[in-house]
Amino acid sequence: MQRRPPSGPHSRLDTPGFAGHNVAWSPFYPDRLAVAAAANYGLVGNGRLHLVGVQDAPGGALPQLGVQKVFDTQDGLYDVAWSEINENQLATASGDGSIKLWDATLNDYPIRNWHEHTREVFSVDWNNIKKDIFLSSSWDASVKVWHPDQPRSLTTMTAHTACVYAAIWSPHSPDVLATACGDGHARLFDLRANPAPTAGNPGAVAGAQPIATVPVGGEVLTLDWNKYRTFNLATGSTDKAVKVWDLRSVSSSAGSMARPPPGAPAGAGGGLGQVTAICTGHEYAVRKVAFSPHSPSLLASASYDMTARVWDVDHPSASLASVASRLGQAGGGPGAMRSLHDGHTEFVVGLGWSLFQEGLVASTAWDMSVHLWRA
Amino acid sequence: MTTPTQRITQLASHLDPRTWSGKGLAAVSTKNDSDVVVVALGRTPQCKAGKGGLKDTPFDVLVHQTLKGVLGRVPQLDPALIQDVVVGNVRNENAAYYVRAAALAAGIPRECPSLVVNRFCSSGLMAIRTVANQIQSGEISCGLAAGVEHMSSHAKSAPHIHDDLAKASQEAKDCELPMGATSEFVSQDFNVSRADQDAYAARSHQRASAAQKAGYFDEEIFPVQAHVKEGDATSYKVLTQDDGIRHDTTAEKLAKIRPAFPEYAKEGGEAATTGGNASQLTDGGAAMILMTRRMANELQLPIVAKYVATAVAGLAPRIMGIGPSIAIPKLLDLTGVKKEEVDEFVVNEAFSSMAVYVQRQLGIPDEKYNTTGGSCALGHPLGATALRLVVQGLNNMKRTGGKVVVISMCVGTGQGAAGLFISEQ
Repeated sequence: MQRRPPSGPHSRLDTPGFAGHNVAWSPFYPDRLAVAAAANYGLVGNGRLHLVGVQDAPGGALPQLGVQKVFDTQDGLYDVAWSEINENQLATASGDGSIKLWDATLNDYPIRNWHEHTREVFSVDWNNIKKDIFLSSSWDASVKVWHPDQPRSLTTMTAHTACVYAAIWSPHSPDVLATACGDGHARLFDLRANPAPTAGNPGAVAGAQPIATVPVGGEVLTLDWNKYRTFNLATGSTDKAVKVWDLRSVSSSAGSMARPPPGAPAGAGGGLGQVTAICTGHEYAVRKVAFSPHSPSLLASASYDMTARVWDVDHPSASLASVASRLGQAGGGPGAMRSLHDGHTEFVVGLGWSLFQEGLVASTAWDMSVHLWRA
Repeated sequence: MTTPTQRITQLASHLDPRTWSGKGLAAVSTKNDSDVVVVALGRTPQCKAGKGGLKDTPFDVLVHQTLKGVLGRVPQLDPALIQDVVVGNVRNENAAYYVRAAALAAGIPRECPSLVVNRFCSSGLMAIRTVANQIQSGEISCGLAAGVEHMSSHAKSAPHIHDDLAKASQEAKDCELPMGATSEFVSQDFNVSRADQDAYAARSHQRASAAQKAGYFDEEIFPVQAHVKEGDATSYKVLTQDDGIRHDTTAEKLAKIRPAFPEYAKEGGEAATTGGNASQLTDGGAAMILMTRRMANELQLPIVAKYVATAVAGLAPRIMGIGPSIAIPKLLDLTGVKKEEVDEFVVNEAFSSMAVYVQRQLGIPDEKYNTTGGSCALGHPLGATALRLVVQGLNNMKRTGGKVVVISMCVGTGQGAAGLFISEQ
């Protein structure tokens, strides 16, 4: 690994025995953070959901973290999402294929348990607009939509043929979601678009076919929507790059009830979208990307290279013209990289921006600690 | 339930450089409009040259029958949509004339051109590759690839390399070596014993016999109307079965056969290659129709498989048999697919010497190697075999539910080739 300048200060919470796989800041309480964690790097053994308190420190120092409550699970937890309608509830994604709903005011046991996925559930995401539904994506290549009060999933999307590492609702359109798939593509789905029922498939599922299929390259491990620019999203993949895509040409067909012609291949009905920025610099695969909730151009990424980085995706050196001219050169886009957090000593696999304090980021890694730092 | 080992493998692949550039099984298995897909395929019965059912059928008639056979698999496809006919053939005289005539006679319009390709025993795969590359580059959207060889009517002459070349390069001189000589050199250089070769050949016959009796080949074969000459008169007979398989052969019986190339035995040693453990001389053909996935979906044709890639390799002419041991790793490297992810390797059994060596060298388990027998039992019509192997491999995938099949063959004069297909049946 190349030598880098020491990164700035961070505050730290150790979670011995468990490696955090992702964090979720509460949308209701500025001092609350959830960490989904797994023993033995998520390969085998139990999981633990940590509810963490964030305590402001005097004089502009970084807030301190302290574990307030834990919930233990049979298998590792890979992701967590807070409910948007109940300030005490949150959903977790587990390696045994189950999804559990927890109540922070209770102890020990989940209030719901759904077990439909047949392989690891790698992500859960709660809809910010239609606040009573959330989705899950799994290595069993399916994406499911759930309601916290329903015993079974509302919809299952089976359009993928490889692991779906992430599925995220659009922050602007309540029926649109994006998925990151191990087959190298990011896809957009619109739950309102119904494929024309055919004689061979009279029971066609809503939103079954993607409205856009974007060839990203490598296995796409993560993606996130820009909160300020519609149909603008970032992907991170095993090709080590973070790419930003402008998919507005797809949005015109979203929700228009346009039916793809019979026999049309997947992805018909929309353009592919344009890549507008490529942020290179990570030395290994990118495991998580997250757009800032406070800025249209700030993006954080976490990687197997043990760093987390913050990028300015509007910076000229991330533009395509600049990247093309630097093809073949080592490193890249130092201008686009705004800051680097080097404090972790293992793969950094999860991070999240605080919703209430601008510029504050929590990151988790296989070094079994959660770090809090300023971008 | 996934095991920890599977999780480790999954995560480790994130760090594998091959996935950084979009290679790997998941990436090559994706379905894109621009994919080259197989919509029809099949083969004629394979019959012993000089003695078997097709010996009296003229070469152009055999090509004609092969083309009609594959067109008959998709009667709903208008032949006017075919934009090139490429046929692999090695040694039939005037092949290019006959292929063009056969295509016209089979109902393919004159606007569709035709081509003969020859890379010896890989010609069938080279025909597929030629059509597929044209489709991938956008020059055509649909083509017919075939391989046909009528060894019964081959000339008996052998090539002779001029001294000008021989003086410049020993390897150039080696290009005139009879194939049996190269088999002897492989068995000597790589310690493949006579016993190993006979055991392998016996297994090939046993596997082919079991497959034929179970009806597995019925799916692959389209019937052919063969000519039968009696004096000056010609009658016709419909053939539906391969006739080269020796159903009750054993390694012990094969051990009694005298070596065919004793002059190439090592000093003080015994030659190992015999008529029993080498591929048979055979007449036969095989063909497939390829097009873009978009076109197949528009025409609502069922998709048999996706063609992924071909790798070709060169090596020393005197041991040409080891070709697959170089071409297969090259293919896997090119595509990022791992050896363990391949469901079957269908490798031409030009000789048991190289078939044994290749399996050993690449560490392929028995249950993934020529599972329904090979050229020792079914025969090796030179230009057709490579395509026949694809037909056989994809038919096996259909029956077993496997997905990933690698076809490979050695090539006389020191080459090797391998192709990757993903079954979608």
